[in-house]
This record gives sequence, C-alpha cells and structure tokens, in this order.
Amino acid sequence: MSSSSTSGAGQLAGGTGAGLVDVTMPQMGVSVAEGTIVAWRAQVGEHIEAEQTICEISTDKIDTEVPAPVSGILAEILVEPEQTVPVGTVLARIATAAGATSGGEAGPQEGTAAHMGAGNGGGAPEGAAAAAGSGSQRAADGRGAPTTAQAPERPPRERVENGRTRGRYSPVVQRIAAEHGVDLAQVQGTGRGGRVRKQDVLRFIGEGGAGAQEPAEPPLHIESPYRPEPTLAAAPAATGSAQTPSAPPSAPTLTPAVALPGTLSRMRRQIGEHMKRSLQTAATCTTWIEVDLSRVETARRRLGVTALAFVARATIDALREHPELNAWLEDERYTRHQGVNLGIAVSLGESGLIVPVIHGAHELSIEGLAARIRDLAARARAGQLSPDEVRGGTFTITNPGQYGSIMATPIINQPQVGILDFEATVKRPVVVTDAQGNDAIAIRPITILGLSWDHRALDGAQAAQFLAAVKRALEAVPL
Amino acid sequence: MATDTAEPVAGAADASAHLTLEDRIELLRAMLMMRGIEAKAMSLYRQGKIPGSFYDGYGQEAVSAGAAFAMAPEDRLCILHRDLAAHLIRGVAPARIFAQYMGRATGVTRGREGNVHFGDWRLGCVGMVSMLPDMMLVATGMAMAFKLRGEQRCALTWFGDGSTSRGDFHEAMNWAGVQRLPVIFVLENNQYAYSTPLDKQFAVDPVARAAAYGFLGVTVDGNDVEAVFEATRQARERALAGEGPTLIEAVTMRMHGHAAHDDMKYVPKAMVEEWRKRDPIERQERRLRELGVAVESLREGIMAEIEAAAEEALRAPMPDPASATEGVFCEGEAEPLGDGRAPWSGFAEPGAVGRAL
Amino acid sequence: MATLTYLQAISAALRDELRADERVLLMGEDIGTFGGAFKVTDGFIEEFGPDRVMDTPLAESAIIGTAVGAAVVGMRPVCEMQFADFISCGFDQLVNVAGKMYYRQGLAVPITVRLPSGGGFSGGPFHSQNPEAWFMHAPGIKVVAPSTAEDAKGLLHTAIHDPNPVCFMEHKHLYRRIRGEVPDGIYETPLKARVARAGTDLVVIAYGAMVHTALEATADLDGASVEVLDLRSLVPLDEEAILDSVARCSKVVIVDEANATCAAGAQVAALIAERGFEDLDGPIVRVATPDVPIPFSPPLEQAVLPSVERVREACRELLEY
Repeated sequence: MSSSSTSGAGQLAGGTGAGLVDVTMPQMGVSVAEGTIVAWRAQVGEHIEAEQTICEISTDKIDTEVPAPVSGILAEILVEPEQTVPVGTVLARIATAAGATSGGEAGPQEGTAAHMGAGNGGGAPEGAAAAAGSGSQRAADGRGAPTTAQAPERPPRERVENGRTRGRYSPVVQRIAAEHGVDLAQVQGTGRGGRVRKQDVLRFIGEGGAGAQEPAEPPLHIESPYRPEPTLAAAPAATGSAQTPSAPPSAPTLTPAVALPGTLSRMRRQIGEHMKRSLQTAATCTTWIEVDLSRVETARRRLGVTALAFVARATIDALREHPELNAWLEDERYTRHQGVNLGIAVSLGESGLIVPVIHGAHELSIEGLAARIRDLAARARAGQLSPDEVRGGTFTITNPGQYGSIMATPIINQPQVGILDFEATVKRPVVVTDAQGNDAIAIRPITILGLSWDHRALDGAQAAQFLAAVKRALEAVPL
Repeated sequence: MATDTAEPVAGAADASAHLTLEDRIELLRAMLMMRGIEAKAMSLYRQGKIPGSFYDGYGQEAVSAGAAFAMAPEDRLCILHRDLAAHLIRGVAPARIFAQYMGRATGVTRGREGNVHFGDWRLGCVGMVSMLPDMMLVATGMAMAFKLRGEQRCALTWFGDGSTSRGDFHEAMNWAGVQRLPVIFVLENNQYAYSTPLDKQFAVDPVARAAAYGFLGVTVDGNDVEAVFEATRQARERALAGEGPTLIEAVTMRMHGHAAHDDMKYVPKAMVEEWRKRDPIERQERRLRELGVAVESLREGIMAEIEAAAEEALRAPMPDPASATEGVFCEGEAEPLGDGRAPWSGFAEPGAVGRAL
Repeated sequence: MATLTYLQAISAALRDELRADERVLLMGEDIGTFGGAFKVTDGFIEEFGPDRVMDTPLAESAIIGTAVGAAVVGMRPVCEMQFADFISCGFDQLVNVAGKMYYRQGLAVPITVRLPSGGGFSGGPFHSQNPEAWFMHAPGIKVVAPSTAEDAKGLLHTAIHDPNPVCFMEHKHLYRRIRGEVPDGIYETPLKARVARAGTDLVVIAYGAMVHTALEATADLDGASVEVLDLRSLVPLDEEAILDSVARCSKVVIVDEANATCAAGAQVAALIAERGFEDLDGPIVRVATPDVPIPFSPPLEQAVLPSVERVREACRELLEY
C-alpha cells in the first residue's frame, strides 16, 4: 500500500526542544497496538523533505511507509530495524530550522491531506476525503479548541494547586450556566484559586448577567425562518453538501486553512471530486416530507439532548423497515447491510466536511446516540478521529439547520444509496383535526426532511415510504 | 469408646410397646422414601439436572426417621443435611424436594437455597445453615420460648460428630443445661466428618460431655429405627416433665461420601462392609417380614411414587431471574413456625387410625 | 412529653414494649439483677421478672442464636450485646442465621440487637467500636442509629415492631450527655433521615454522636449556612434525603466516627458520586476516624476520633473551594 494511507504519521506531538520534531509509530487501525521498523530510508544528518518516506514499518494489519512530518535534518534515530514498539513511540527526530512548528505550513497539511485523500479514494468507501487526514492533524493546524455550543470550555486561568491543575467548572456550575445561557468566562470566581463557585454563577444570573448571550435553547425560530438558530449542545454544523463553500463561517474560533492564492485548497478539491463523482455515478433524486416535531421538542428537553438524536433514532428504525436504503451500490454490486452504521456530517468550517460514523448505531438509545454524536463531533473538530471512525457508513444524516435553511438537495455519500437532510425547524400554523373531525389552526414546530436517493437502487415509492416511516416515528415519540 | 459398641438404651422389645404395626410400617416407609428419593436425586445429579453439590444420608435413615417420628405437631425441628426422612414425616411432598434439589420455582426455597438447606416453616421445620452446629442454638432458643411460656412442647435438632468441635455446640449445651430447657440434641455420630475420623475430632466421646453440662446423655444404635424412636420419645417425656435437655448419640455410619463429589477413599473398606450388614432399612424390613408385612409391594409402591414425584419436579419451571433481589426483608407480619404432620399413633386420638405418609 | 436523657428514652421504650406486648423478651449479660452495665434496665426485673429480663450466660453467639429460635416461635426478643464490640462473637448467628433466614426460607426473624457503641471515654480498642458497617454489608439486617433522645425511643419501638433483624446502635457517649423532649407512649420513628439543621451552603451528613459534633462545628462558621443531615437509618439508607440535601447545598462533608475504610459514610459518598454528581460544586469530603484500633489514652483517642475542630476545618475548606 502506498504511503498515503498512513494516517497517524508524523504526529506533531510537540518537539522535545527548540526545532526538534518527533516521528512516531502510527496506529494502522483500531486494534493495532504496535509496529515493527523494517528499514530506515534516510540517515542521521541527511536532509529530508516533508512527505518523503523516512522509514518502512510492518504492523498486524499492513506494511507501509512513514512519511516525514516536516522538512529538516534527520537528527536522531531511536528505534532500530526489527524492533517492535508500541503505537505512539518516538521513532526518530527531525531538526527543523524554525521552532516547534505551528499549524501555519500549508505544505505538510495539504500534502498530508492529499495523500490521505488519494489513498482513501481508492480504498473503502468513506465520507469526505479529508477524513483520515484530519484525524492526524492536531493543534498544529490551528483548529484550536472544539466549538461546542454549550458554555465554552475555555477554562479560567489555569492554576496549579497541590500539584494538580485546576481548570474546570464543577458539574453544578456547568449545569446552571447551561440552563441560563451564561458564558462562564465572564463570571468572576471567588472560590479557591479564582474558581467559579455555584454562588458566583447564581449571583451573575441574579445581577442580570445571563441573557447577554443567546439562550442555549430553544432552537425554534419565531416568525422569520431566516434568523440564525442558536447552536445546540451537539448539533453538528454541516454545510449542505450541495452548497458552495462560500457560506460565511459562523464559528469564529476556526482558523481558515491557508490556501494557495487563487485556487481551492486541496481538501476542498477532494470534497468537490467526491461530490461530482457521486452525481455522475448515482441517479440522484430528492424527496421531501414535512414532520411535526412538537413531541420531539418536549421529549428532548426532558432528556437534555438535541432533536438530531431523535431524528437519528427514527432514521435507524425506518432503515430497519426499509433495508433497501441501508445499502451500498458499487458499480453492479449491491449490498444490503444488517446493522446501521450511521454517518453524521460534521462541518469543519472552511476546512470542509467530514462524516464520522457511529458504528452499530442500531444498538444505541436516543441518549446513547446523542452522546456519540457529541463525542464524534467534538473529536472531528479537534482532528482526533481515527481512520476506523470515518469508514463503513451505511447511511448518512446531514443537519445544517442552524442557519435557517429549510430544504436542500444533498448529494449522496458514495457508495451509499441514501442521505437524509435535516434542516431548520420553524414554527408554522398548521391545520389539526380533533377526534370529532373538526379542523382548527395550531402552531407547531415543523421541519422538512429531505432524502436524496439513488434511483438505480430504489424507486420513488420506496423513498417516500421511508420518509413516511421516519415521520411516523418522530411524531409518535413518547413524551 | 461408646461409639464402638452401641448398646441401645431401649431395646426393640421396649420400643414395640409404644409402636403399633402401622407405626412400624410408617417408619419403614419413611426410610424407604428417603433412600429412594436420594437415589433418584443422585441419578439426576449425575445427569446434570441438579446444580451445585449433592448430599445424602445413605445408611443413616433410621436416625432422622426414628427421631422425627417421636415429635408432636406442635414441636419444632431443625433438620440437617442427612435427615431427609424428618422432612417427609413432617409432611413435605417428595415432588417439592426434587424441585428443591433442582433449584426450581416450586422447590421449598424457590431456588434460593440448594440441596438439603431447606425447611418448610409452615410444617415447623427450620432450614439449616452451613455453619455447623449453628442450629443447636436456634433449637435451644425455641425450647427456651416454650419453657418461658409454660408450653408442653419441645424442640429437636440433629447435628454431626464434627460439629461438636465448634463453639456453638458448647454454648448451646451450656445454655440448655443451665436453663433446663426442653430441647433434644440428636448427635448423629456417623464416624466421619468429611474425611476427619473421630479420633481427630475429640478426646472424649461427646455423649460423655452431656454430664458436664448438667444433663443426660444416652447412646443408641443409630441403625435401629425403633430404638432411635424410643430414645427420642423418652427424651421428649423428660423434657416435658421439666427435666431438661437430653443428648442422644445415635451411632451410625455414613455409607456414602461426604457429598456426591467425595469417593470416601479414606474409609477402610472393612469398616464399610461391617456397617453394610447393619443397614437400617434391611433391619426394619426383616422385622416387618417376621410380622407378616408385604414389604416388597410396599417398596414398589414407594418407587412408583418417587418416579412420579421426580417427573412432576422435572416439569416445574425455573425461578424468574427478576425475582432474585426480592424478599430480603419481610414487609408484613412475622409469622411463626406452623405445626407439622405427626403420624405416630401416640399423638392421635384414642382409636384413630395412624395416618399414611 | 417529658425531658429525658438518651438513656432514659431507651429505658422508657423497653419498658413500654414489655408492658404492651407479652411477646417481648429482653436478653443480655447482667441486665437483670444488675440492671445492665449502663443501667438501662435498672428496676426492670422487679417489674417484669427474671423470665422477661433474662440474665444470660456469657455467650454472644448463644444470645443471638437463641433469640432467633425464640423469635421464630412467636416471641419478640430484644438482645443486648453489653458492648457493641462483642457482636463479633455473635457475627455468624446474626449474619448467617438471622440475616439470611427470610430470603432463604421465607421465615421471618423479628429480633432486635441493641449495640452500645462508640468511644470518647478511654474505653480502649474493645469497648469503643462502631461496627455498623459490617452489618450494612450483610443482606437481611436493618441498622438504625439515633442521635437524639426522641429518636432513640422512637427508633427502638420501630426496631422492635419490625419483622426483620434490626441492629440498634445506641451511642454510649450520648447516654447521659444528651437530653431532649420525648413524647409519651409508644410511637415509631420512620426509617428516614432527619434534617437536624437546614442550610444552603454546605451539608454535613452524619449519624449518632457525630450529629452533635457536626452541629457544634458548624453553628457559627464564618456566617455560612450549613445544613446537618442526621441519617438515623443506615439500612435502609434514606437516599432521597441525601440527594435532596446535596441538590440544595452542592457541597458535602460526611462524618464517620467509625474507621474510615468502608464505613457508612463511604457508601453515602458513593451514592452521591453516582447519583448526585450533577449537583456537586466541590469534591465529596469525608471526615472519619483513621483505620486504627481506638486507643486508650485520652490524647491518642482524641487525636483519632473526629473532633469538632476537624469537622469545622473540613467544612471551612470546602466552603472556600
């Protein structure tokens, strides 16, 4: 296999001194715990370019090459050929001209991404091509802290007390802050070491400090559907697959990936390739259905999860009823899957789109799905996904509803045959009929679910039935 | 030591003075049922239908049959693991016993306890614990309550030679002696405590110790069911007359291993052969044949009953796992032990026919 | 109503029960003629006779075992271990015979075991223990621990009326130091916790003598509003009350006079960590006697038993956190 499929190669784990960058043993798959050096392709003192193969390794899963993470002089080799070491062990060190590199370099990032993309395109079906690449990039590429829509996790000033760093908010403080939409960074702490205590956040609220931010809930619009929806705890922000990447980023903490002037970034190009290929391969149609989410709104508040978790669960149940949508179509080969590996599209802002996969999603409850979505989204944005976590999806959900758009024509994630689009929820006047058959007008939170489906694998009736099943499940959620 | 030559306190002749023919047949029935149930259960155990361990009282049937036969309905019993006949005499149905061994929902303890660790409290039987001889103290306490309330009833417990080495033996003997309680301690001296022979267990034969605690100790041929009955009957009379406890040492032999998983290689074969000649069931059968009783047809009837009981138990359901954490605490009223069956003609109204098992 | 000491309240409960219920039987060493090592049953034998106020042989296993026997034939024995420490001699009968009987056989064992427990008066290692945790750990046994005179009487009535084995932890050091208003007649204190003092900033959870230590330590603590929760019942544990106090106060100090490892407070801490996590504004703090035998000489003993100062400091630190 080519060097491009090494995912963890060149982790910028923080240099051990000025200008020294570690080369570590990568993890080639979830179950792999160690690797063996087969041969070194460079010598100590030799100049090497970033991406140049620095050594060959052998693991339980595959034999592969390890590319250099940066350009520089190979300063030291720490593991000899035929030695077997655990994943993450420092194999060698490269001396760079500058200090411990930040994420500024476009070269290594792009290069890595390109290699990832090329490798992935040829291999197992995956979500966005950047998936594997993003899994290996960490703080170095400047993505910074993951954006979670709850009270920002930026800790107060770190203090070392009794040898331990205090930088956390206690559970009750976080809960109260979330309930009242308080930005804890604004709360003056009077506890030990400047810690924010329960009474501090309560006082802040009492003095009217809350409400300076948008409340964390509810997510429903009133009147105009174009007011930006407040972001929820776990709502992954995914750009609509069919839209251009020109939408202004709403998450200010994401630093745009540097692109060569005048061209799209490599990652953007790869996503584009994938999308175009999908449209060229599949006979893509889109069907929509309206869903009344009033029960979901009530239930999700009680459980403390987002509507997406409910949509995910309803989707899984509908896929069980309509297995023709839980399938892969690769040229002539059509494979239906028993279990549901649910991909959830996560926007990485300017850096593109990634689709982490919840394996075995059919076994999870709503709370379980919500937790997994939260976790995957956070790690996706932090660039901490492993290769296994972006492979093997059998169906995808995209949920870009926070900007107010109500419908889209999503592009199917190859080689799947369906993708569900969950846009904004808007309060609308609807007609309700009571038990006696009398009609009246009521205000209900309505969303439009869109299903893009491959006409080579199914027909419109099946697509509509699937949507109807999802709608049924959502409108029957126990309160 | 008295264990070698078991001079019966009451000879068979004396016993028959208090036993009608019906009674003597009942005694044999009880022993045959015990042996038959245990044989069938051993077979089920080897078929994997009985979990855990399996204990029997092969060769000791007379000790529990004889002693239990002397107990009145209002008396109370602590029954141990080689005393199955006592349960049968008190009225526990064989099907429930098989179900108990197999851990079924219809077993006496509904699957909460295994093998012989059961007692149907509604019939006045207290289920044993494994720590021996804890039950001696419970029996002592029951007798204490009877005496405090001035009631004409007694309590009885069985225990083995091994358990006389533990503190509770001493505390029970002492307490019963100092308070002169109506309790009968039946020491089943079956020569071995698991693999431990008597000469590793005590320096003085425990029956001799009764005097040290202030009451009578008697030794009886544990393989003569009528002698055991008579010794117990006399002990009960003494108890009700306010003369305090009796320690009855019933000398017998454990003919099988400690449990089904023990091959008892440590027992000299000659000893086993000697005791086989003194089998309590054969002994009683000889007696009854001499009196003209059709022993064989009795056997057949009992085997048929046992087979039917085993079939019934095999059909019974296992307990519901959801119930495993229920019933740790009593939520309602504490109900005391109830009265059991007492087939001895001596308890019936004058002229009444002895009840069949 | 009368003002009684903790000890007098216990005596009153026993006397009321003996009078009202002929099934009640007291058993223990030196409780009859001598009136009890602490005089709890002083004068009883004159009123109720030696059969109902029984001087037993020195045999804890037998006291408990015979009590079980008497209970299953309809009596209501109340046994006394002269010192709670001696329960170890009767451990087997209590845990294996009494505790497990109902679950195994469906046969209820309505016994009460009075356990004069606790230290603070140079009793040394064998007269100062708080062994309740051993029996919290044994299925089938209830455990109660009053801290006031009123609760001492009420909980003893509850224990005697309960159809299950109940360990009644009566704290020796409270016998004559605590007095309070006690209602007349027979009444039952429910097996629930009691808010000894309501508060908002922090809650101290304790039982027995430590309730008083907690109250004293937090009566005037830098103006803080400190709640004190008196558990009263250890089995069953009033989980709702514990979690409610934690929800309101968010900071918890748990005090055990017993040795720290696996004491009742450890179970309370585990409960809070598991089910009250979201309400916590600081770590769960425990103040307990270290894992040492209780020493005899006063400076040693005072150094290990949780003192008012130690509890106060722990609360102060946590309040500031």
